[in-house]
Amino acid sequence: MLKNIFDWLKQPLGLIAVGIFFLSVFSVALYGISTTQQAPAQPIEFPHKTHVGFGIQCLYCHPGASKGPAAGIPSQAKCWACHNQIEKTQTSELLAPLKNAVLSGESIQWVPVAIVPDFVQFNHRPHIAAGKNCEECHGDMSQVTIAENPQVFNMGWCLDCHLKNAGDDVEKKTKLTDCGTCHY
Amino acid sequence: MSEQVSRRDFLKLAGLGAATTAVLTGCGPASRYVTREPYQQMPEYNLVGHSTYYATTCRECAAACGIVVRTYQGRAIKVEGNANHPLNLGKTCARGQTSLQGLYNPDRVTDPIKRSVRGDVASETMNWDDALQVVTDALKNHKPSEIAFLLGTSADHLFDLVTDLANSTGVNAPVRFGALSMFEARATLSKAAENLFGQAGLPWFDIANAQAVFSFGANFLETWISPVSYTRGFSNLRKAEGLKPRGQFVQFESRMSATGARADEWVPLRPGTEALVALAIGKLVAEHHGMEVPKIFSGVDPAEVAEQADIELEALEHIAKMFAEAKSIAVPGGAALGQSNGLAVAEAVLALNVLADNIGKAGGVYLSPLAPTETEYQRPASIQEMKALIEKMNAGEIKVLFVHGGNPVFELPLALNIRGALGNVEQVISFATFPDETALESDYVFPDHHFLEGWGYQRVATGVNLPVLSGAQPVVSPLYNTRSTVDVLLTASQAAFGNALPFKDEVEFLHSKVIALMGEAGGSFSATDEESFMASFQQYGGWWKKSNGTTSASDSNVLDKTANAEVAEFAGEGEFFLVPFVSPTLGEAGANKPWLQELADSTTTVMWNTWVEMNPETAHHQGIHNDDLIKIISEAGEIEVPVYLYPAIRPDTIAIPFGQGHIAYGRYATTTDENGNVLQRGANPADLLSIHFNEAGDLAFAGMKVRIEKTGRTKPLSRLESRIGVYNEGMEGH
Amino acid sequence: MKIDLNLVGAKGAIAEAAEGKWGMTIDQDVCTGCQACVAACAMENNLSFVGEEDAGYGRTQHWIRIERFWEGEYPEIKATPNQPMLCQQCGHAPCEPVCPVFATPHSDAEQLNLQVYNRCVGTRYCANNCPYQVRSFNWRDYHIDPFHANMVDGKLVFALHNQFNPDVTVRRRGVMEKCTFCIQRIHKAQDTAKAEGRDVFDGEFTTACAQACPADAITFGRVDHHESLVSQLSHHERGVKHLEELNTLPRVTYLKGA
Repeated sequence: MLKNIFDWLKQPLGLIAVGIFFLSVFSVALYGISTTQQAPAQPIEFPHKTHVGFGIQCLYCHPGASKGPAAGIPSQAKCWACHNQIEKTQTSELLAPLKNAVLSGESIQWVPVAIVPDFVQFNHRPHIAAGKNCEECHGDMSQVTIAENPQVFNMGWCLDCHLKNAGDDVEKKTKLTDCGTCHY
Repeated sequence: MSEQVSRRDFLKLAGLGAATTAVLTGCGPASRYVTREPYQQMPEYNLVGHSTYYATTCRECAAACGIVVRTYQGRAIKVEGNANHPLNLGKTCARGQTSLQGLYNPDRVTDPIKRSVRGDVASETMNWDDALQVVTDALKNHKPSEIAFLLGTSADHLFDLVTDLANSTGVNAPVRFGALSMFEARATLSKAAENLFGQAGLPWFDIANAQAVFSFGANFLETWISPVSYTRGFSNLRKAEGLKPRGQFVQFESRMSATGARADEWVPLRPGTEALVALAIGKLVAEHHGMEVPKIFSGVDPAEVAEQADIELEALEHIAKMFAEAKSIAVPGGAALGQSNGLAVAEAVLALNVLADNIGKAGGVYLSPLAPTETEYQRPASIQEMKALIEKMNAGEIKVLFVHGGNPVFELPLALNIRGALGNVEQVISFATFPDETALESDYVFPDHHFLEGWGYQRVATGVNLPVLSGAQPVVSPLYNTRSTVDVLLTASQAAFGNALPFKDEVEFLHSKVIALMGEAGGSFSATDEESFMASFQQYGGWWKKSNGTTSASDSNVLDKTANAEVAEFAGEGEFFLVPFVSPTLGEAGANKPWLQELADSTTTVMWNTWVEMNPETAHHQGIHNDDLIKIISEAGEIEVPVYLYPAIRPDTIAIPFGQGHIAYGRYATTTDENGNVLQRGANPADLLSIHFNEAGDLAFAGMKVRIEKTGRTKPLSRLESRIGVYNEGMEGH
Repeated sequence: MKIDLNLVGAKGAIAEAAEGKWGMTIDQDVCTGCQACVAACAMENNLSFVGEEDAGYGRTQHWIRIERFWEGEYPEIKATPNQPMLCQQCGHAPCEPVCPVFATPHSDAEQLNLQVYNRCVGTRYCANNCPYQVRSFNWRDYHIDPFHANMVDGKLVFALHNQFNPDVTVRRRGVMEKCTFCIQRIHKAQDTAKAEGRDVFDGEFTTACAQACPADAITFGRVDHHESLVSQLSHHERGVKHLEELNTLPRVTYLKGA
C-alpha cells in the first residue's frame, strides 16, 4: 500500500502534486507570518501621527515607560481632559467611541500592539534610562495612524542590541545576556 | 524511501510543516488578540506598572493580624504582613496567605438568592431591593424577642452594630460562635483567668521571655488563639544562644501535635490526668524549693499521679526540677481543657504560674488588655450557651434567625442537631459569602462582601501587651453583586424600626465608633481633624496604644484553694481515647481554599483528606494497615476514616483532625463522583462528639472513649512524604 | 566553611567562587513547620495546585516543602527539627549539565540556577539528577483545567486567575519548574535601587517565604557582602550545608543546634 503511493509519487505527475502540496503549505505559512505583522483592529482608529504632530511627547500619555515595567495605556479621563475642550470631539464620527465611553463610564478595550510572550519579563525603565528613544523599538509614530510594529520582537533582535550596547564591558555583557534577566 | 525525496529531505520538510502549523496556531493573530482595559479614571496615587498596597485586617481567624495587600491594576495579588502592626509585626500564617483564594474562589455566592426547599442546592436569584424588603419584613413582622443573630468570631464591627440594634430595639443580643473557640475552650480559659485576675478575659502567656515552657496540650504553634504572635514568642524562646537553643520546651499531651513535635520533651500522659500532673509538679517544685507545699498542691501524691498518668516518676521529678530551676511558664490549652475537668486543668496550670511567681512579670502570665473602645471581654459562646440557643429554637421561641460569619451546621457537634433546630425556625437568613452547609439550610442567602472587599475593624483579643483596634478597608472593589451586611441591616432596620441606627452607611457607622479614639492620648498616631484621623486609621491598619495595657494579678488566693484532684471522666464505651484537633493547615474554615488543601500537614504530610492517627503497634495487633478505612463509633455517632500509622501517639488513643468532611462549601471542600454528584470530602469528627460539658460550659470534646471496626476497604491518602520504606511499605522483595 | 577550590579539580573550572551572590539561612531550631512559607511561595509564584489524585502520585508543585523525620520509637520518639527544603541554588549544580536543551543554565549575573520555561522540553533529566529533589514537573495544564472555571455567558471564566502575579510566568504543561529565590523581587529591588542611583541595601527586600515566616527562621540576602545579616548567619558555627560532600556548593545554610 505504502509502496504503491511512493511509486505513484515518483512519476512526474506525482512530483508535481508533491510540489503543489508544499507550495501551498509555504504560502499558508507566509500568510500566517504576515498576519502577525499587521496592526490589529482597534476600537478607535487612533491617529498617533496627529498627536505626535501636535508636539505631544510619548511620555505624556505613556508615563509608565520612564518609571517602571509597563508604559501603560492612558485612561479615558486623560484623553477627555484635552478632547472635552476640542469642538470636533462632539461631531467627529471617529471620536464617537471615546465620547460614548466617557459618557457611559465603560472602558475602552484597546488591543496591545507591541507585546512580548508571557515568558518574557520586559521592563521599560532601564531601556529609557540607558538612553533609548521610543522610536528605536516602536518606530516613528509620526508616520502611522494605528500603532504598528516596525520589527518582530524576537530574542535575536533583543540580544543584538544588548550585545552592541554591552560592548567590551564584561559585567554589563554578563547581565545583558543572562537568561534570568528576561525569563523567570 | 524514494530517490527524489531522501529521508533527510523528508524530515526537513516535515519539520517545516510542523513549524508552519506552530506559526498558524501558536503565534498567529488569534492568540495575540488580547485586549487591555485601562482605568476609566486612574486613582492619582496609582502608577502604571506599579503595585498599590492597602493595609487591612485578616479575618481568616479571630486573631486580627494586620495585613498589607498588594494590588495591581485593581486586582489583589498577594497578602503580606503589616510590618507596623504590633500583633504580627509583618508576619502571616498560611491561612492569611491563601485568603486571596477565598476572594477569587469560583464558588462564591454572587447574588442574593432565595431557596424554596431548605437543603436543596436549587435556588433562584433575587435583586437587592427585594432582598432588603425580605430583611425589613423579617424585622418588622416579628416581635423583637423572636429575632436572633448568630455571628462568627470575626467581623467585630458587625457584632457591635447588632449589639447596638439589640440594645435599642430589644431583639436578642447576638450570639457568636466558631469551631476554633470550641476547640480552644475559650470560656474555660476566660473563667480561669477571672479566678486568677478577678476579671474575665484571655490570659496572655509571654513565652518569648521565659526560659522554660511547660505546655499542657496547648497547640499554640498551630491555630491556638493567636498563632502568629505565639510563633514569634516561640521563636524568641528558641533562638540560639551559642550553639544551643536558649529556652526549653516541654509538652504534655497524648498525641504529638505539630506544637508538641517541637518540644525538647514530649510527655505522652494518659488523657484526663493533666490536672493531676500539673498539681504533682507543683508539689515537687515546692518541695524542691524547700517551702511549705501550698494547699492546692498538697492533696496529690506524685508517685500515684505518675502511675495514673502512665509516666515514670523519675520523668515527673526531672520535669519538676527543670521547672523549679528555670524562669518557667505553664500554658494550658487544647484537648487538656476539652475534658470533663477542663477548668480544674486550667486552674492547676495557672496555679503553677503563681507558684513560679511569674504573674504579671516578663516571661509570665498577663491578662490580655481590652481593645480600645471595649469595656469588657466579649467571649464567643460556649457549647452550653449554644445548646441553650438551640433549645430556644426548638421551642419555637425564635422565628427569624440571621446567620453571618460562621458555619454552625458544619462546626457544631452533630449531636446538638442544629439542622433540626433550624427546621423549627420560620425564617433563616444567611449572609454567607460561600454556599456552606448553613447557607444550604437557609431560606435566603444575602451574600456579604469578602473581607478583602469590605470595611470594618477587629479587636485584638490577645497576643500582644498593647490595646489594639485593627482597621479594615476594601483592597479591591466588590467582584460580584454582593452587599455589606452592615449596610443591609442599616437600611432594613431603618425601614422597620425608624431611626434605631441613625447611620447613612457602613463607613459612617465605623466613623462613629472609631472617632472616639481621636481624643485619647498615647496612641500610635494622632490627628487634629476627623477626616485625617479616619484616613490614618485605614492607612496604618488600625490604632493602638503605645504603652502596656495588661492587667497584673489582684491579690490572688489561688494557691490556698483545694484542688479538684480527680481524673477526668470519659463518656462512652470503647478501648480508645478520642482526641479531635483542629487541622493545623485548614483551621476551621480553610477547606474551600485549594492551596490550603494542598499544604502538607506538618506532622503527617497528608493533603486533601481526613485521617485517623493510630499507634503502629496498636494497629499491628489489630491487623490494621496504613490507608485502611475504619469505622469509628462513639456514643453519639460514627464516621469512616482512613488510618495513618502515627508513631507519636499513645497506643490507647486515636486522633482525628477537624476541618474536612464538608458536603457543601464549594468544589474544593467537597469531591464529586464520576457523574458529577457532590460527595463529602473526608470526614467530620464533630459527628462523633457527644454533649458533655466541663465546669465552664465548654464542650468536653476530648472526653470520650470510642471503639473501632474494620470495614475491609481502603482509601489511599495523598501524602507529601514518600511511602517507600515507611513501615516496610513498598519494600517487598528488598 | 571554606572550600578549597584546588580540590574541586576539573569541576572548579566551571564552579564559580564558592561564596555566590544571593544566599539564604534557615534556622531549624525555630522552624515550627507551620507551612506559611509554602503558602506564601505558592501565592507569589503562581504555583498550581494539582488536586488530591495527582498529589497522591507525588506531582505536587511545592517549590519549598517542610521535611520532618522521626527518631526513635514510642514513647521515646522525637520529631527531628523541621527541615524546609528548597532549591539550594547550587554554585555547581548537578541539574545544569544534564539538560539537553540548556533550559537550566546558570545565571552568571545573579549566580542562581535558572529554569527557562520557554526552552524546556520536559525531559525531566534535571529533576532526576537533583540530589535535593526540589524540582517539580507540570504534568498537566493545571491552571486551565475547566474544573476550576465557571461558565459565564457561554465562556469559561477562571476567577482564580485574577490573583496571578504579573511578574512571574504562568507555566504550561510539560515544563519543569523550581524555586527561583524570588528572582522577580531581586530584579525589582535592583531596578528600584538603580533608578534611585544607589545599591540595594541589606533587608530592602526578601523572598516571599522569608517575608511570611512567623518564626523569622528564614533570612535572605547577599552572602558575598560580609556585613549582611545572611552572611553573618551563614558563617555561624551552627551552620550546615546539605549534601555538601557532593560538591554542589549549596547557597542555603541550615542552622541547627549542635
